[in-house]
Amino acid sequence: MPVRVEETSSSSSTSSSSSAPSQLSGENSSGHTSPPVCTLLTVGQAFSGTQNVSSLQKDEAWRVNVRIQGCDLDHGYLCGTMEALNVPMADTPVVTFWEGEIVDGKNYTFFTGKWEASSEDDTRHWTQFPSFQPFLEQVKVDGGKSLDLINYPYIFMRWKEQYFVNVGTDCGLTIAGFYYVCFSCTDGSINGFYYDPNSSPFQKLELKSTNEGRSGFSFSSYELQ
Amino acid sequence: MPTANTTIPIHGPVDLLTRLDSPDPETKLKALREIKNQIIGNRTKKLSFLKLGAVPAVASILSPYATEADSQLADSDVSTSNIIVQSAAVLGSFACGFDAGVRAVLDAGSFPHLIRLLFNPDEKVVDASARSLRMIYQSKLAPKYEFVQEKNMEFLISLINSECENVTGLGASIITHSCETSAEQRALCDAGVLKKLISLLEGSLSQKNATLESLAAVFKNNPEVISKFVGLENERAVEGSLSPRDSSLESLGTVLKNNPESVSKFVGPESGSALSSIIELTKDRYARTRLLACMCLIVIRNASPNYLQDVGIKAKLVYLLLELLDDPGQVGDEAPFVFSSLVAGKEDLQKLAFEDNAVNKFCNQLQKGQLHPKRLQGILLALADLCSKLEGCRLTFLSLKVLNQVIDALTHDCADVRTSACICLRSVTRSIKNLCAGYFMNEMLVISLIRLLDDPSVSAQVAALGAISNIVVDFTTRKSTFIQCGGIKQLVQLTKSMDSTVRFNALWALKNMMFLADDRCKEGIFLELTGSLLASLICDPEPCVQEQALALVRNLVDGCIKSIEYVFAEDGILLDAVGRQLHNVSDEVGIQGMYLLGNVASGNEFHKEAVMQQLLAQADNGAQSFVIKFLQSSDSRLRTAAVWVIVNLTFPSCPGAFGRLVQLKNAGIISQIRNMVNDSCLDVKLRVRTVITQSMTFGDGLA
Repeated sequence: MPVRVEETSSSSSTSSSSSAPSQLSGENSSGHTSPPVCTLLTVGQAFSGTQNVSSLQKDEAWRVNVRIQGCDLDHGYLCGTMEALNVPMADTPVVTFWEGEIVDGKNYTFFTGKWEASSEDDTRHWTQFPSFQPFLEQVKVDGGKSLDLINYPYIFMRWKEQYFVNVGTDCGLTIAGFYYVCFSCTDGSINGFYYDPNSSPFQKLELKSTNEGRSGFSFSSYELQ
Repeated sequence: MPTANTTIPIHGPVDLLTRLDSPDPETKLKALREIKNQIIGNRTKKLSFLKLGAVPAVASILSPYATEADSQLADSDVSTSNIIVQSAAVLGSFACGFDAGVRAVLDAGSFPHLIRLLFNPDEKVVDASARSLRMIYQSKLAPKYEFVQEKNMEFLISLINSECENVTGLGASIITHSCETSAEQRALCDAGVLKKLISLLEGSLSQKNATLESLAAVFKNNPEVISKFVGLENERAVEGSLSPRDSSLESLGTVLKNNPESVSKFVGPESGSALSSIIELTKDRYARTRLLACMCLIVIRNASPNYLQDVGIKAKLVYLLLELLDDPGQVGDEAPFVFSSLVAGKEDLQKLAFEDNAVNKFCNQLQKGQLHPKRLQGILLALADLCSKLEGCRLTFLSLKVLNQVIDALTHDCADVRTSACICLRSVTRSIKNLCAGYFMNEMLVISLIRLLDDPSVSAQVAALGAISNIVVDFTTRKSTFIQCGGIKQLVQLTKSMDSTVRFNALWALKNMMFLADDRCKEGIFLELTGSLLASLICDPEPCVQEQALALVRNLVDGCIKSIEYVFAEDGILLDAVGRQLHNVSDEVGIQGMYLLGNVASGNEFHKEAVMQQLLAQADNGAQSFVIKFLQSSDSRLRTAAVWVIVNLTFPSCPGAFGRLVQLKNAGIISQIRNMVNDSCLDVKLRVRTVITQSMTFGDGLA
């Protein structure tokens, strides 16, 4: 979800191909397995909730909808759209496209290694999630490369917005930062923290799996040829 | 200063054909020579002579000599010999790189005559016949030579053992053309052909090239033969250096004996001299030899994971093939195909090639325009392979602004080019990032692809469906572009094709189009498809078609709750078809069927009850419900899909949930679910717990 440019000091950069998460940064494939395939985190699934954008001046939360558009677990890749509904300075909901890195120990570790995030920044954010606690010591050692996440009911990710879908880059908003995300396989709930050194710290994203007026869960799918 | 005109007059084709009939041997010979000179390397001339019936005329000159007894031929004079040589040469020239010529030579019955002339005592006759036969064997139209038969194998070996260059070349060409099965590869290997071929690698340019091609045919997909090839040469290397003093070599022999692992380590790229000699030929001064050496190494590498795996040789092959792309002739035309065989399906090689600017190099070629169709086809296929897995390649491709050239290729005269352009687009459109941006939904591209759905070539049709399947996964609202261009009507028409591949791909495209489609789009597709056609596709004889049809309906009933009503159209023909079909299906079909039922079961009470009926239809007759079979499947994806149906049927706060729970319990489904509480798949385990939690709201005793 975009944030106001005013909150940033120098950064107005949006996305660039160099800052995009590499879909294919696999270093080795031995001894590691993919995280659990969770049906609640597959293409077409929708989530809704809020992002707290409060600053020292005022409390504020924007309503947010997310939809998963693409998923490639072999490469630890996920992508989708994020819609911010009540953005004060925008006439319409603002939609952005984001790409995600799934922390699987194979393609990606808990260490970001880019986007101006140091390992200390990483640890500070990951530890906000109670479900991360069991991994803290090992992550300090190797970023979590040696952890077995296969049967863990939470999936850790980084989501990085890449471009605005329905507004121009001159909309007064920025997508310079990225999210530390924790997904619960049990109920499909998502917690996240937006990180941008130039924005308010620890802006919390809280989303729940939506069933769009149904009495149950519905799943659609597509396959690229 | 004027001089006397001494130029030899050039005769027209008709005149020359008349001269062929001359009783004067000298006139006949001159006419043959002149025809040969006129047609060499000139397709137009070949065609005009062909239309006038030149090939049967020349064949009739050759025929009597070929059927004469060898003893009589031995006595023939020089002019007779020259006539045979020139006739054979003319036939060879007609066949050279020209399929119509090959067909004419075969139709004229010259093939067995040329074979017979290989036994002629006159070396020149043998040489000319062998050369002509080589030309014929370079065409796919040449008859397969059944060398597995003992006598034929003897003959083939006699050819490659010949002193005559064209004869050994013919032997190699026969192998290239006729060696197709692993039994044939093994037969050649057992007959000792490999050893001879290796020695020919040191021969003349044409021998080297013919041998490299034949080796590739013998190696293709056959690790056993490759291992014998490498082992055989290694044996020779060891034998060559063995001396009584060198006991270390003996001990090495002991270590390697019957130990394939050690052998394979020992015969790495450096130690196998046979491999080394092929690697050496990648540095040859002639481009064609370099290309064929690369091709041969790639065949070895693709078939046998033990050899040529180090990054150095991979990088070298990529570099060499990209360099050969600059060759303006046949080598440059063929290089992209060899490149494709190197990188297809191999992400590590695609990455290496990407780092070597392969995408830029192929795109630069595309930008040159006016390419030979074969080269254009190869470049499009190479780009398709490069962009098949790596997003970086796709983004580079798109940044180089060659999409319009690929769109132009969709309307190329040559069907192979049109097909390759579609395959290239299919790879490039795997970029979800660009799909989401609606980048591919432009009218020019969409209209060209839709036109290809009527293409006379089924390959082009299927390839177009592949690209369309990706493009219609458009996350914005631009699906309308495709609809406005008449795409849906065309796709629906193709779901009725007699060809199951076409039906399968058309349904795939419609399924993707249905993904998160808005109500209008869904309605448009359903009106065109109709419930009865969909029901018949769900019951198609081909499981892959059934799977796509079920997945399409799964997407149809997703989204707005009123979409579920589609399965109740035409007296519930669709839902009944699903229920009937699921009694006996593969796992893949079962998965789509269960998600479809799960989506319907996420609706209102009426929807849930309709699903219950399908689930318990057989259980009412005392038989086990298909759901139990699916819950017990070894495929966790099917178990997951099946549990989701139960989650939705027992969804809390629905008035009929308790009644359904009782029915499911009576059918043995709940007890099966309880058995899965520690399922090996986390996703299944979590959904099972959801069902148990939901059922507990009605009291422990029931669950």
